[in-house]
Amino acid sequence: MPSKVFLGLDVGSVSTKVVAIDALGQVLASSYLPTQGQPIAAIQSALREIARALPPGVPVAGVATTGSGRVMASALVGADVVKNEITAHATATLRVLPSVRTIIEIGGQDSKIILLNHGVVTDFAMNTVCAAGTGSFLDRQAHRLGVPITALGELALQATSPTRIAGRCAVFAESDMIHKQQTGHSLSDIVAGLCEALVRNYLSNVAKGKTIVGPVSFQGGVAANVGILRAFESALALPVIVPEHYDVMGALGVAYLAQPIAGQTRFRGFGVVAANCQVKGEDCDGCGNRCEVVGFSINGRVQAYWGDRCGKYSHENYLSVGT
Amino acid sequence: MIVGVPRALLYYVYYPLWRRFFAELGVGCILSPPTNEAIMNSGARAVVDEACAPVKIAMGHVLALAPEVDYVLVPRFVSVEPRTYICPKLMGLPDMIRQSGQKTPPLLAPDIDMSKGYFGLARALMDTSRCLEKGLWSTVRSFHHSLAEMRRIKHKLIAGQTPEEAFHGTSRRRKPGRRLRIAVLGHPYNVYDPLLSMNIVDRLRAQGIDVITAEMLPLEHISLGLSQLRKKLFWSLSKMVLGAGLYFVNHAAEVDGIILLSSFGCGLESLVADLLERHARRQEFPFMQLTVDEHSGEAGLITRLEAFVETVEGRILNARNLSPHGDHEFRHAGTP
Amino acid sequence: MRVTFPHMGTMSFAMQALLENLRLQVVPPPPITNRTLMLGAKYSPECVCLPFKVNIGNFIEAIELGADTVVMGGGIGPCRFGYYAELQQEILQDLGMRVNMIVLEPPQGANGGLWSRISKLSVGQSLWHVAAASYFAWHLCKGLDGVLQSLDLLRARETVPGSCDRIWNAAQKSIGQARTYRALRRAEKEIRHEIATLSLHLHKRPLRIGLVGEIYMLLEPKVNLHLAERLGYLGVEVHRSMSVSDWVARHLVPNPRARMHTRKVHEAAKPYLRGFVGGHGLETIGESVLFAEGGIDGIIQVLPLTCMPEIVAQSLLPSISQRYGVPIITLVLDEHAGEAGLQTRLEAFVDMVGARRVHRGGGVSCAK
Repeated sequence: MPSKVFLGLDVGSVSTKVVAIDALGQVLASSYLPTQGQPIAAIQSALREIARALPPGVPVAGVATTGSGRVMASALVGADVVKNEITAHATATLRVLPSVRTIIEIGGQDSKIILLNHGVVTDFAMNTVCAAGTGSFLDRQAHRLGVPITALGELALQATSPTRIAGRCAVFAESDMIHKQQTGHSLSDIVAGLCEALVRNYLSNVAKGKTIVGPVSFQGGVAANVGILRAFESALALPVIVPEHYDVMGALGVAYLAQPIAGQTRFRGFGVVAANCQVKGEDCDGCGNRCEVVGFSINGRVQAYWGDRCGKYSHENYLSVGT
Repeated sequence: MIVGVPRALLYYVYYPLWRRFFAELGVGCILSPPTNEAIMNSGARAVVDEACAPVKIAMGHVLALAPEVDYVLVPRFVSVEPRTYICPKLMGLPDMIRQSGQKTPPLLAPDIDMSKGYFGLARALMDTSRCLEKGLWSTVRSFHHSLAEMRRIKHKLIAGQTPEEAFHGTSRRRKPGRRLRIAVLGHPYNVYDPLLSMNIVDRLRAQGIDVITAEMLPLEHISLGLSQLRKKLFWSLSKMVLGAGLYFVNHAAEVDGIILLSSFGCGLESLVADLLERHARRQEFPFMQLTVDEHSGEAGLITRLEAFVETVEGRILNARNLSPHGDHEFRHAGTP
Repeated sequence: MRVTFPHMGTMSFAMQALLENLRLQVVPPPPITNRTLMLGAKYSPECVCLPFKVNIGNFIEAIELGADTVVMGGGIGPCRFGYYAELQQEILQDLGMRVNMIVLEPPQGANGGLWSRISKLSVGQSLWHVAAASYFAWHLCKGLDGVLQSLDLLRARETVPGSCDRIWNAAQKSIGQARTYRALRRAEKEIRHEIATLSLHLHKRPLRIGLVGEIYMLLEPKVNLHLAERLGYLGVEVHRSMSVSDWVARHLVPNPRARMHTRKVHEAAKPYLRGFVGGHGLETIGESVLFAEGGIDGIIQVLPLTCMPEIVAQSLLPSISQRYGVPIITLVLDEHAGEAGLQTRLEAFVDMVGARRVHRGGGVSCAK
């Protein structure tokens, strides 16, 4: 039985990931759940899964959060470290695959490229507002084609001549795809075309101007798709590695960042899975900005604030979480 | 010595001048092939994503010429008439090409800046003569002769030929349009680029529609259109578009409708298209803006063109009481 | 006549002071909020740059409060700004808003016309009075810019988070609302005292990051999503390449020191960009080179989506980054820009810059 565990939470807009590791960095349990617009509920169910998977009575020695919901998540669970996704992914990859020079991460609504050298991030980029190079684009098209998202990759591999699907953004790629469907292209060719379109969009938008050096690590939920993996390999002419915990690398990265924490953790305990959380917005009339200040309370007690521009309320959080 | 001319950007305006100029000087001059997918893709890879498609295409043409030439002609166009400008991206293009990290031959990139007066031209000619190692006098004389060529070409344009037809003498005899007369406006490198415009001019002509572009209008008509504006427009490219557009809107007998073809992310067009649309709407004049970029698919363009043509025809039949305005924009809704 | 103007950082305070000192009834536009952006985006052409949209939002909200005259800038140049006012008038007209726009520019390039436009605002007042009011506004602007600059540097070191912001709020109320030299001097003295007595982590050696880019995005905090403050809270000393008063000194008044700086910037840009490309594209390149030569840890370029001059600069920045080994990131903002995405990018950039400094050897090169 491990002497202590560290938790990493990655709360994204599409999925919520939680990982538990031991002092040596071994993954003890992980959980991947859709966020479905309810991050609090998603965190709670993910933590419930983790608590069930861990041997009873193991002390939690550190907790860290990342993802677009990291501030809220940290208020909910009581995190020791709050980190951005880029640093989280880089940390995880450097621990798991130290030789990697380029990280391609494609998640639900975000995609990133991170360049590494000598164990340091040297450059990075994220997608702009457009969703064409992300997982939700693929999800939507799979749904439209009536193919389960998990079968998409295998189907793409059966293609004989992938069709070219034009369009920078999801909406136009979709209309072009429908057009191709109506002109009688086979399903597998269309799916392979979709994979190529996603890779093309990623390379021309997110990875524009970046010199991609191997070895390349491909992670994020979309890395499960073999079709995309092959498309990347052929477009880059480089070997592309998919790490073992590809779908929870962000959570794993912050879990590693929680490891050096000495002293008492701020973790509220697994009891938060049953806590009654409330988020309440109120207009502040302190100045002309009239920000909507959001107060986050657990079981009726306000734990954190955000949404204020001047920092009158949220300074307390900055103090406590130490970004 | 061989100078390569990219078939992009202001090629569609100044090629006859350059061709004659190099011929008079005894300098070899070759032209890149018409834009194709390979050219567009190689250019798009080499330029920041935020740049517009025409700039990406120009980069592609420079790369396509690279193996064959000693110099590539990429003038730094700042201004071609006093107190007006071309476009910031064209002003920065030579530097963008140099710093792109691509292997390109040296650029023949004289500064063409007449914003403070026509003497700016003298500097451009001096730069060129030094670069090509030709005497200044013969450079000036060649330039003078090539101006005459520009006037000759303008006559052909006014007769209804597109720049490509006028430059290369490929115009074929066409029957006058049976159906309609439509103005296709836009920066020349959008309207005449075969790939970016998806051959919009030929497509319309094939349907029996007479096409007229800003380049085919006498300059007096352009000035007449521009006289509607409170403040003088100070971009040469936009003056052609808006001048022609306003002229047509106010001389409704000239054409039956206006299509404005612009490339996605074009800064100048974002203002000018909106101004023109407001004027057209006030006069209830059929107007459609098509926005294209390197990701555009053909299917969408064809649908919109057909719909517009039918609306214009319907409007003529229905005694001119139908406003064809609506959501005709052909663009990528999701891109910012 | 109830006069309004568009917001742009500290210029708003100077403008308000100028117009009030001309004894005009001034209706300042309400502070920029999401509603402002939404209104601006709704009534502006879709692909126009963000400052245009925010202007429209400002005008509409001020007209709702009763403004009937708008004072706007203009000019002639490759950047779109010069033609803003023309299209904005058309937009307001099509919206049925009866408003008179006074564009402060030499019409058709004739300087005489400029005075006739100014005199529309200064009914019955002497040229001397107008000059005196402008001179005061310039001092007020300089005062605020000075405070802003100090706070940009100090925020990273403050021991009580938010204390810099409190000083800034106080400065906006005291310096910003001063209407006489006496009040201005007193307010400046008070604020200087507050800054001098600010409790700071003196041993801390923060990362130094330079901000370059399009002037409006650099200077209007509501539109750049409080970029400088965010960086400050991430423990970064912020060096802005330009302030409103710098701009005035470099462009509007014959100021030899400012002119010299401009020449230095253009000289520094020369190896990368041969000449001006409109807007502040050349300045972005030159200032980046100067920052890099000064040993800055990182550079952030900020521009509104589709900004033509800055796109040229953006494509040249990688060469500077490579040459000097300084990380440069470009932030492209529009009305859809989300705070979460921006914060993530900034945090990651600061992490990266910090790691590079450690990697380079303990930040010796940055001890300044």
